Amino acid sequence: MLVRKEIASSLVLILFGVGFLLYNAKYSIDTWANPGPGVFPLMVGAVLVILAALELLQDVRKSKPKEIKESNEESGSSIRGFFRTKKGDAKPLLMIAVFIVYLLMVKWVGFFISNFLFVIISSKLMGARDWGRPIALSAGISLFCYFLFEVWLKLAFPRGALF
Amino acid sequence: MAGHGILSSLLITFQPVNFFACFMGAVIGTLVGVLPGLGPAAAMALVIPLTLKLGPTAGLIMLAGIYYGSMYGGSTTSILVNVPGEPASVVTTLDGYAMARKGRAGAALAIAAIGSFIAGTFSVIALQLFAPLLARSALAFGPAEYFALTVLGILLLSNLTGKSRVKSLIMMMAGLMLSAVGMDPIGGIERFSFGFESAQGGVSFIAMTTGLFGVAEVLSVMAEKGEPVDLLPVRFRELYPNREEMKRSAAPIARGSVLGFLIGLLPGPAATVASFASYGLERRVSRHREEFGKGAIEGVAGPESANNAAAGGAMIPLLSLGLPFTPSTAVLLGGMLLHGITPGPLLLRDRPDVFWGVIGSFYLGNMMLLILNLPLVGIFAKIVRVAPKYLMPTVLVLCVIGAYGDNSNLFDVWVMLGAGIVGYIMRRYNYEPAPLVVGLVLGPVMERSVRQALIISRGNISGLWDSTLCMIMWSIVLFAAVLPIITGSLKSRAQGRSKKSTA
Repeated sequence: MLVRKEIASSLVLILFGVGFLLYNAKYSIDTWANPGPGVFPLMVGAVLVILAALELLQDVRKSKPKEIKESNEESGSSIRGFFRTKKGDAKPLLMIAVFIVYLLMVKWVGFFISNFLFVIISSKLMGARDWGRPIALSAGISLFCYFLFEVWLKLAFPRGALF
Repeated sequence: MAGHGILSSLLITFQPVNFFACFMGAVIGTLVGVLPGLGPAAAMALVIPLTLKLGPTAGLIMLAGIYYGSMYGGSTTSILVNVPGEPASVVTTLDGYAMARKGRAGAALAIAAIGSFIAGTFSVIALQLFAPLLARSALAFGPAEYFALTVLGILLLSNLTGKSRVKSLIMMMAGLMLSAVGMDPIGGIERFSFGFESAQGGVSFIAMTTGLFGVAEVLSVMAEKGEPVDLLPVRFRELYPNREEMKRSAAPIARGSVLGFLIGLLPGPAATVASFASYGLERRVSRHREEFGKGAIEGVAGPESANNAAAGGAMIPLLSLGLPFTPSTAVLLGGMLLHGITPGPLLLRDRPDVFWGVIGSFYLGNMMLLILNLPLVGIFAKIVRVAPKYLMPTVLVLCVIGAYGDNSNLFDVWVMLGAGIVGYIMRRYNYEPAPLVVGLVLGPVMERSVRQALIISRGNISGLWDSTLCMIMWSIVLFAAVLPIITGSLKSRAQGRSKKSTA
């Protein structure tokens, strides 16, 4: 793990904590005898910021001897360069994109159709070569979900325009 | 009293629906244990919506079955393919796989199952004896005591998880912060909902766990290149350990049971820690020390017993205090709350059927697991060969349904996806998701207790440590906080000295 990235992650955590505390200022602290809704978040938020600062301090200490070496790494800034240098990251990112499209689709075309497509596509993304097996798997999962959850457990899945 | 408890608990367990739930839990638990990537916490979260149909007793029996069943399954793949199904079985790969390569896979599997059975049963007996005692004395706990106890839990947990103490504490705080979303537990004021109606009830626990453990895991699997695994064959008649192997395993199983149970009582990923501790202990006391790592049966018998005993031990703080100190028991607590059951000192009085039913199911479940795992071990082991390209999409769909089914709400599915993405990124920076989940569950308990304690003492902050019990707990907290700092500085000083002497 690059130390620079560790520092960045600690900074993100501190920012998150400070943002949380600022937002928490909306809620009242009240008195010691009757603590308000803002007290507990204030306590844990403050501890988080302190801990993240501690982590940052450790990272900065670690980084000093190596700093110069690292700054030359990773220069590909274009999207294609990104995918080339970080092949491992491309697939999860694609998967997340597919997931978002899937969740948006559920609202419009309903759960079962989007789910059917989602399983096929994610299976292909995972490296399935043929179409037959992912389609069979997807059909199986859809039927299983329908009978187990909708028929037996009476869970109402979102329905779209078609089904 | 205890005798009455055993009888009534077994009667509850043998009701058909509970029997069925126990069986299903054991089967799912074994499957989860066998499959790398899907841990007990995620699997339990996925099954919670299903259990709501079964009612509290059967539902919790099924969840508990998954919990300890996964401890059995985990050893199977450790031994046969050198891939631990869950973290508590990592150490079993060392000697278990070595035994398998020597052709003693069957014996290793059998000893693991027998050790698990003995340790599991031992820990239920201890659970049955101690949990009601602790629950009764916990009735005297006030909010101040509970606050001290949760602080202690958080501190100890950070000592035991992962590599970095600061990082696990940070995760714990993040979990506590998330727990503040929704209604304030005392005043009923809405916090951090950002205008989303669905967030008023708080962050969905199932959405968080399925996201952090399920979706994040799938994304991590996608990022790395998986290789197909070789499966060593097991023949049925090889399943009998020979007399020498039995003799050498007896003491490690006994030691592992006691050690695991005691570690289970402590906050932390008890099962994992227990298995490592037991391995260390066995290697130290063994007369065959040179065989360790090359297929010593003690290295399988001890840890596999210890992790099962720890799973039982961890149930004690959950059932009698209502405090979960491991991710799996945190999920179990989440499940209980969704069933409308609050674990804690009052559980035994208010819902004895649930209390004894769950305990009784441990006996039955352990027996079922022994029967399931011995002859059918070959079938379960084959599951590890199911390719990720078919398994992972299935896991994702189950996650979606789990998150959606809790409140029939798409918002929770978005929360799950968010948690999955954050969890995936966190893993890359060595932040463990487990403490976050524990924080999320402990948050409301902690907040309520600290605020109530202050109200009771009329704003006098010394009310947080006024009683003797509190004083004792806070001194343990102080000790637990200072100890690692002292040992750390001693270690670095010793290292500095040895460097000087070598230079």
